[in-house]
Amino acid sequence: MSTDLPPAITSRHRLRPGQLEVLAYAGGRLGVSAVPGSGKTFTLALLAAKIVLSGWLQPDQEVLVVTLVNSAVDNFAQRIAGILKREGLLPTFGYRVRTLHGLAHDIVRERPALVGLADDFQIVDERVAQEILDDLALAWLQGHPDALDDYLDYGLDPKRLDWVRRDKLPDLVREIAASAVRYAKDLELTPEALRQRLEAADQPLPLARLVAEVYADYQAALAYRGAVDFDDLIRLALAALERDPALLERLQRRWPYVLEDEAQDSSRLQEQILRKLVGPAGNWVRVGDPNQAIYETFTTASPQFLLRFLEEEGVQRRELPTSGRSAQPIIGLANGLISWVRSAHPRPEARDALALPYIQAVEPDDPQPNPPAERATVRLVLNKLSPEMELKRVADSLERWLPEHPDQTVAVLAPRNDRGAQVVDELRRRKLAVVDSLLRSTASTRQAAGALANVLVHLAEPQSARRLAEVYRVWRRAEREDEEAWDAVEAMAKRLRGLPQVEAFLWPRPYHDWLAEQADLDEAAREDLAQFRDLVQRWHGATLLPVDQLVLTLAQDLFTAPSDLALAYKLAGLLRQAADAHPDWRLPQLADELRQIARNERRFLGFSEDDLGFDPDRYKGKVVVGTVHKAKGLEWDRVYLMSVNAYDFPAGEPSDQYISERWFLRGRLNLEAEALAQIRMAGGLAAFYSEGEATLAARLDYVRERLRLLYVGITRARRDLIITWNSGRNGQVGPALALVALAEMFPDSGSAAGGA
Amino acid sequence: MSAPPRRAVGRRVLPAPPPLTEEQRRVAEAPLSAKVFLEGPAGAGKTTAGVGRLLHLLAQGVPPHSVLVLLPQRTLAAPYTDALHRLRHSASVPVLTLGGLAQRTVELFWPLLAEAAGFAHPERPPVFLTLETAQYVMARLVGPLREEGLFAAITVDPNRLYSQILDNLNKAAVVGFPHTEIAARLQAALPGDAAQLHAFSDVQRCAARFREHCLAHNLLDFSLQVEVFRRYAWPLPICRDYFSSTYRHLIYDNVEEDTPAAHDLAREWLPDFQSALLIYDRDGGYREFLGADPAGGRALADACASVVTLDGSLVAPPAAESLAQHLCRAIREYALPPAVKVAAEERDLLVHEYHRYYPQMLDWVAQQTAQLVHDEGTPPREIVVLAPFLSDALRFSLVERLERLDVPVRSHRPSRALRDEPATRCLLTLAALAHPRWGVRVAKEDFVQALTLAIADMDLVRARLLAEVVFRSQDGATALTSFDLIRPEMHERITHVLGGRYEGLRTWLADAAERDALPLDLFLARLFGEVLSQPGYGFHRNFDAAAVAAALVESAQKFRWVVEASDPAAAHRDALGREYLRLVEEGVIAAQYISRWQSATAAGDDAVLLAPAHTFLMANRPVSYQFWLDVGSRGWFERLMQPLTHPYVLSRQWPEGRLWTDAEEHAYGQERLCRLAVGLLRRCRRRVYLGLSLLNEQGYELRGPLLMALHALLQRAAAG
Repeated sequence: MSTDLPPAITSRHRLRPGQLEVLAYAGGRLGVSAVPGSGKTFTLALLAAKIVLSGWLQPDQEVLVVTLVNSAVDNFAQRIAGILKREGLLPTFGYRVRTLHGLAHDIVRERPALVGLADDFQIVDERVAQEILDDLALAWLQGHPDALDDYLDYGLDPKRLDWVRRDKLPDLVREIAASAVRYAKDLELTPEALRQRLEAADQPLPLARLVAEVYADYQAALAYRGAVDFDDLIRLALAALERDPALLERLQRRWPYVLEDEAQDSSRLQEQILRKLVGPAGNWVRVGDPNQAIYETFTTASPQFLLRFLEEEGVQRRELPTSGRSAQPIIGLANGLISWVRSAHPRPEARDALALPYIQAVEPDDPQPNPPAERATVRLVLNKLSPEMELKRVADSLERWLPEHPDQTVAVLAPRNDRGAQVVDELRRRKLAVVDSLLRSTASTRQAAGALANVLVHLAEPQSARRLAEVYRVWRRAEREDEEAWDAVEAMAKRLRGLPQVEAFLWPRPYHDWLAEQADLDEAAREDLAQFRDLVQRWHGATLLPVDQLVLTLAQDLFTAPSDLALAYKLAGLLRQAADAHPDWRLPQLADELRQIARNERRFLGFSEDDLGFDPDRYKGKVVVGTVHKAKGLEWDRVYLMSVNAYDFPAGEPSDQYISERWFLRGRLNLEAEALAQIRMAGGLAAFYSEGEATLAARLDYVRERLRLLYVGITRARRDLIITWNSGRNGQVGPALALVALAEMFPDSGSAAGGA
Repeated sequence: MSAPPRRAVGRRVLPAPPPLTEEQRRVAEAPLSAKVFLEGPAGAGKTTAGVGRLLHLLAQGVPPHSVLVLLPQRTLAAPYTDALHRLRHSASVPVLTLGGLAQRTVELFWPLLAEAAGFAHPERPPVFLTLETAQYVMARLVGPLREEGLFAAITVDPNRLYSQILDNLNKAAVVGFPHTEIAARLQAALPGDAAQLHAFSDVQRCAARFREHCLAHNLLDFSLQVEVFRRYAWPLPICRDYFSSTYRHLIYDNVEEDTPAAHDLAREWLPDFQSALLIYDRDGGYREFLGADPAGGRALADACASVVTLDGSLVAPPAAESLAQHLCRAIREYALPPAVKVAAEERDLLVHEYHRYYPQMLDWVAQQTAQLVHDEGTPPREIVVLAPFLSDALRFSLVERLERLDVPVRSHRPSRALRDEPATRCLLTLAALAHPRWGVRVAKEDFVQALTLAIADMDLVRARLLAEVVFRSQDGATALTSFDLIRPEMHERITHVLGGRYEGLRTWLADAAERDALPLDLFLARLFGEVLSQPGYGFHRNFDAAAVAAALVESAQKFRWVVEASDPAAAHRDALGREYLRLVEEGVIAAQYISRWQSATAAGDDAVLLAPAHTFLMANRPVSYQFWLDVGSRGWFERLMQPLTHPYVLSRQWPEGRLWTDAEEHAYGQERLCRLAVGLLRRCRRRVYLGLSLLNEQGYELRGPLLMALHALLQRAAAG
């Protein structure tokens, strides 16, 4: 078997030594630990292309690439497709890129009946799942009104107690159920198995009982809809592989090479599924950065799976330690964090949160060299700021910086969505150009869904002139780019808004035709409106169709971009599902649903939200606002990292407070963590349950994960990095300990004014 | 407003039958005592010979009613009924399926067999269940059991659950094993965890309960019709005498698509006929999921005096045969070895273009179709557009594109839910408004839609305006106020003409509410006849809507009969009407338009046919051009996979003790795909257009086995 790289790869890319070592892979098990910006995804894509091009595959075989999120799927697929196309091969053959959910879906689809599914099984998305859980949580509380009393803070006065029971407990129960049901599925515990184990348990496990009851009802509700949720999909995929060895054998043959990206976020089931697919002597390449594991809370995901794999016998180990992304001062800061955590974190148990290797700069002659150190800025703003002041400082700084750097990219990253939203509001107030798609669904998703929603709203209220005017604006939205043309559109929309009788325009009678009566309109404008009328008339006819067909009809007229059309298909399907789940819903409710999709983040299974995922370089001169989680894999010239305080990045100190601990619970118990511990006990994974331990352990897990989140945030920056913190709503919170430590390690980076 | 988009359909023509070849003539004109087993591949002219035989018998003076044309499925009757139609004999030659025969016979001999068969009320007449009424009965029995926790390990919506239990009963009947063995057979052959295997016991329990209920109320679903016929009617000497004296000549076509029960019957019955022609397609077996047993059909050759083989194709060009062989090889081996050469004539049979996105592929298909029709003068009926499934989305997008290009198109999907038809929703909304006692809440949006459909020229805006002023809903009760009582300004806007029509409809509905409550089916029939079909109303000259109304009336009527028979207490008219509405809404009642389908698959309407590939095959009609869409879909390869039933494990050919694993699934799938591809190619006179998109309508990349095989074939073809 030749391990030479095909010319399609070598002629176009100059590869670093570490990358070449990975690409020399010829089979077996290989583990790669990489640092941020080392090009691990790029290298893995090249490896996939190499395998396809090297003729190691039979016609019915594929390289299976598993990665974490949908946008990465697209990224990967495009890269591999590009190389194959250049070689004259069909760009979609020979490999398959999937998220774990996508892979699980593929496996289950092979033989749905094997795991008790009808072949038209539906997948409910997170919002539907949450709706079901909401109902069940309420029902459970009604059936057990006092069951959680024992967990409430004994000091609550009776008035507040009532309020807590009414307003707080339903959410709490739903949240406990949501994470515990997911966890139970991760552990392959069915509701029935959980119930039986609880019956046999010699300890009272009230939270696990709660979960068992809601879990059983939840699964029954799904089964009745002929549906599964995302977590079921994964559980069932493993079950399918276990139940029919012949299926496993066929899939093992189909996927002789398994490449896994972001392996640091592998979960227990992902590890098991891939282990099965690879088989004892198969080919498995796992690439990841244990320091970027930031999706672990309340799941079984853990960087330990990757770290242990690297230690396994027979696993070849490689490192991708060099990175051309950041300037040396930023690399220094990231490495400083690693070093401080590993040697000096006040909680010794947290010292393994970050792992070696340190990040190394690339050789100076690298095609993508590190930005020059002398022009880089690192500012660690240590002064105490209120949340409003922190916002103001960052906005002030951007206001100064943006006009001078129209060709650079910049992001403001916050630990949480709501903080990001505040940033967006402030920047918009100051009329700065903002891109907020990293906070929610991508812009294209929102625009397309928004356009469709506007038309649906009109169809639900066809007599409203205001709605009709909105539809006109949607129809002509392409003119937005051209200010003059858009003014004309707005003028026409205004005229439509003033329509006294919509029917006199849309469905004129011989004696009363509004359009014919508009003497002041020129021929072109008249023609434009006539065209618009034809279109709307057709849409009126389409209201008789089921909602999915209606949406598709609208899409044919509204969109030309293939990706928009593809999106419309997906939205149509979602609306059909919604209509089936709510037989009493009509156009107004369905239009609302579409608006929800337009506004919020919804997880689409296997759907490409955008052809290339998010590309920061497309937004030069604008401020991208997002969460650190969403920024993973991305980079900007300048990054503001906000809210780096002890609340969002606790260190496990006695004074720290934790987001998942409720004030109305006694002893600040983290009931989600406690519920999970009770499930572990019931599932035989723990010998006994002792109240409060899980809460403490959860704190520590959180401390570790937040250290990695900080590391991810730091390593997003190429040249400039500004870190700020705020003292919280009550002014009681201090800076993150890590921030203080870094400021001590790098005294030159401190800034009293934050005026970078 | 204008009527809903209606399919443009060309004139209806019945093409004349082709002249018989010498070989066909020999079969058709065999002596009146001959018993012939005719076999061959699709397209060899077997059915044409069968039709020739029928005409020959009639020409020889054989009384039409003594010739029995037996078929596995009504859709296959078209060549025979069309021929009879031309001879104006259509009513007199019995064209039957096993089910039809069973039903007729059981009805005829009911007094003699009802008691022996275990029916609780032999003195009362039998009530035959349609698929949808059986589904309804099953829903009533099983729904409550599911609440008790049955089928906990199974994820399936209720309607699919009921239909699978019925399917198991039907399999037991047509394969010929006791229905009490369903669970044991499934459990012995299928993998699954304990909870899943337990679900088969739940199936058994429900099946038994259903059967008991049927026996207690004289209800006969398909399975019971077949079982009672085979076990209690057929063995009666008087019954056999009746059969042998009534039917003297048998023409049994598509033997390969029929069930073991039908084959058993044919074998026992053959000696009684004076003449028989059995026709067997070697590549068939498309109805395996319904219990078809091609091997059992082939075995009937032993019972005939002679076996005649028709080889070669009268339809497909010779290159199609070798192309089909290459394609099958590629399906089985995923690739074609370099030694395989694809000839130019073979290559020319396939037209393709790769597209990245699905809509682009649909555009291409529509353009190619338009070119064939408008530029090359191809009659639209000579073109079919096929896909593994015909989703609402696909149907709509393609119909819309073709209509824009002025290509007449019709689509057919054998199972379309009643609730998806706008005309159904309009009728049921009006029914609910006329029956306030039902307490059915009517949404204003539904009323608006009903207005646009029910009243001619009613546009959406005026319908909405009207609804805003006349539609009153309080505490779930709805009332309509008179047009005469509303403000004059609104009169003007809505127009007096439309207002007058609304008033006509409203007063009719109000009178209906006053009158003695009619059963829903009669109410709907009168609503249609007295109002909606009249000038000024929406169903006037709208034949599609009229057809839906007829189907709805029939469905409501059969539903009433069943409830009246099985549960007289529940048959109170208000309760019945309310219940029917609910069932339609929930999709339990899904009336399948078999009757419309019969004419739609026949070559009559001159329009491009858009259909699932499988459905097209079952219509057994060759065409000049085929478009294969969604070539990358796994749907070409996969069977309908249901967790609670299994066509192969429950078939007669399945050996006891064998396990159904992925290896079987895959091997059977490949064979099915080969059979499908070959069947399609043999029914194509000129060319196959492949609609290839790299991503499907949801943005997934496509790589089903058919695509992989075609890809290998095209690569080899490109290599020359």
